[in-house]
Amino acid sequence: MIKHISGDLYQIGESICGEGGWHEAVRVYVLLNNGCPLLFDAGSHIHSEEILTDLKDLLGQDKPGFVFLTHTELPHTGNLSTILKHWPETKLVVSSEILPHVELPWWVTEDQVLYGYAGTEGEYGGRHISFLSGILKDQPGTHWMYDQVTGALFTADAFGYLFPEEADNQCDDELNEGIPIDWLSRYHESAFRFLPYVSADKLIADIDKVFEKRDVKIIAPTHGNAIRGDLDQCRSRFNEMMQEICQ
Amino acid sequence: MNVKIYGEGASRVGVRQITPQIYWISHSLGKDAVKFNRGFAAEFAKANPILDPEANDIIYSSYLFLDEKTFLIDTLAPSQHDTIIEALAELLDGRTLDYLWISHTELPHAGNTAAICRAYPEVEILTVGGHDHYEVHGLGNASKLNYGDMLDLGEHKIEIIEPLFLDHALTQWIYEHKTGFLCPVDWALNVHNEHQCFRFMDEMEDVGYSAEQFMEEVSTTNRVVFAWLRWADPDQMVAAIDKFYEKYDIKIFAPSHTQVITKDLPKYLGALREAMHKAITGPFNIVY
Repeated sequence: MIKHISGDLYQIGESICGEGGWHEAVRVYVLLNNGCPLLFDAGSHIHSEEILTDLKDLLGQDKPGFVFLTHTELPHTGNLSTILKHWPETKLVVSSEILPHVELPWWVTEDQVLYGYAGTEGEYGGRHISFLSGILKDQPGTHWMYDQVTGALFTADAFGYLFPEEADNQCDDELNEGIPIDWLSRYHESAFRFLPYVSADKLIADIDKVFEKRDVKIIAPTHGNAIRGDLDQCRSRFNEMMQEICQ
Repeated sequence: MNVKIYGEGASRVGVRQITPQIYWISHSLGKDAVKFNRGFAAEFAKANPILDPEANDIIYSSYLFLDEKTFLIDTLAPSQHDTIIEALAELLDGRTLDYLWISHTELPHAGNTAAICRAYPEVEILTVGGHDHYEVHGLGNASKLNYGDMLDLGEHKIEIIEPLFLDHALTQWIYEHKTGFLCPVDWALNVHNEHQCFRFMDEMEDVGYSAEQFMEEVSTTNRVVFAWLRWADPDQMVAAIDKFYEKYDIKIFAPSHTQVITKDLPKYLGALREAMHKAITGPFNIVY
């Protein structure tokens, strides 16, 4: 399903239903970018057909210029083969910390891969995308990215949440009371099993530094819907959740 | 050193026998490491001069148990899809593969799951229980194991244990009770140069390696692998390691990314304990 988020930012990708009816989203974000679309993550292999249909509808005659991978786990890269088969000239942008020969499919060629270095900014189809470390992550070669035009921060697994079916494709500003702590907690407890070993205060302080440094208007998690309404409320609930899960 | 090598470059795999029934199947790049891994060793050595500026290679390991039941730990990465299948065929010598245990679902560990299932259609895939939404990880048909579960291979009894250090949520460690074989998956992680591929740790000492160098390397690499350590308490983590060492009598230390250690275990386990304290208290290169 194609969902307009803000400016030229769209969200596609599906969700899957788990135990108790709790859904996990596997999103792909798309910046239309004046004819050189930028994709953030490739989506899941189990949603290939739907993603390709949505991309064709959304992009029309345009071809994706670049697919930015937050990291290389299957839920984020599983649909790469479909995208690259359909648009073979599309380039991949990966964290400089990954080793492509073991972390990407074997058929990806050297000339298809570009590297994003944390602390730098690159121009992709005329759009400036900046790279930073993945602050809260479950794989070493994870980076976060920021688009200054929309103010979107692509946070990979962090800020994901599980939700009931009726909230599928609903952003926080379309829910009566935003994203409940319980939804955030269900996801983060399951996805980041090291959290009980760490200090909530230190983790929150690191996240705060990211938001202090740039004007974030949208948080774009892969495993949730874009958060674009009340970011202060979401971050406050995120912090409260961390105080409960961590030490 | 008795090693059989399959392929070269990104597909290169070496096979070594650890015990009569346990084999180490690993990928190392050898002379191609500096190209494929983009020369990270020089950067590591700038930060810590004790590190070898030419050690650009990282080990990626699978382990095969040939007991009454056959049991494979992890699959190596997609680039090694042909060579691991070739190595398995030779080691299994006509037998089937009964179990494939996925330590976690990152591509270097699980990237050939589909290829192995095609080669051995009756294999039972085993993974971490207690989670949800397995389909997106390619594990929709896997059997789920929980901490404390035991798998009886015949002479070998595999116990599923809770990891002390993990990144991906779908991670388990295993301990085998007959041999004292521990697979702690991503924990440890040292590097090596092109002359040190496929060596056991005691054979590394023959070419000038030491427990001290192991400690320094692990303290550096584990800051990258487990970046969350910067939020952890070093004394608490060391206490957890001590408790773990008390519980498990480790005789074969067989991680995914470290030379297999079968000799001088106390020396290397002590170095690992020290490395983790140093990792937590050292500088993390985080860009906000």
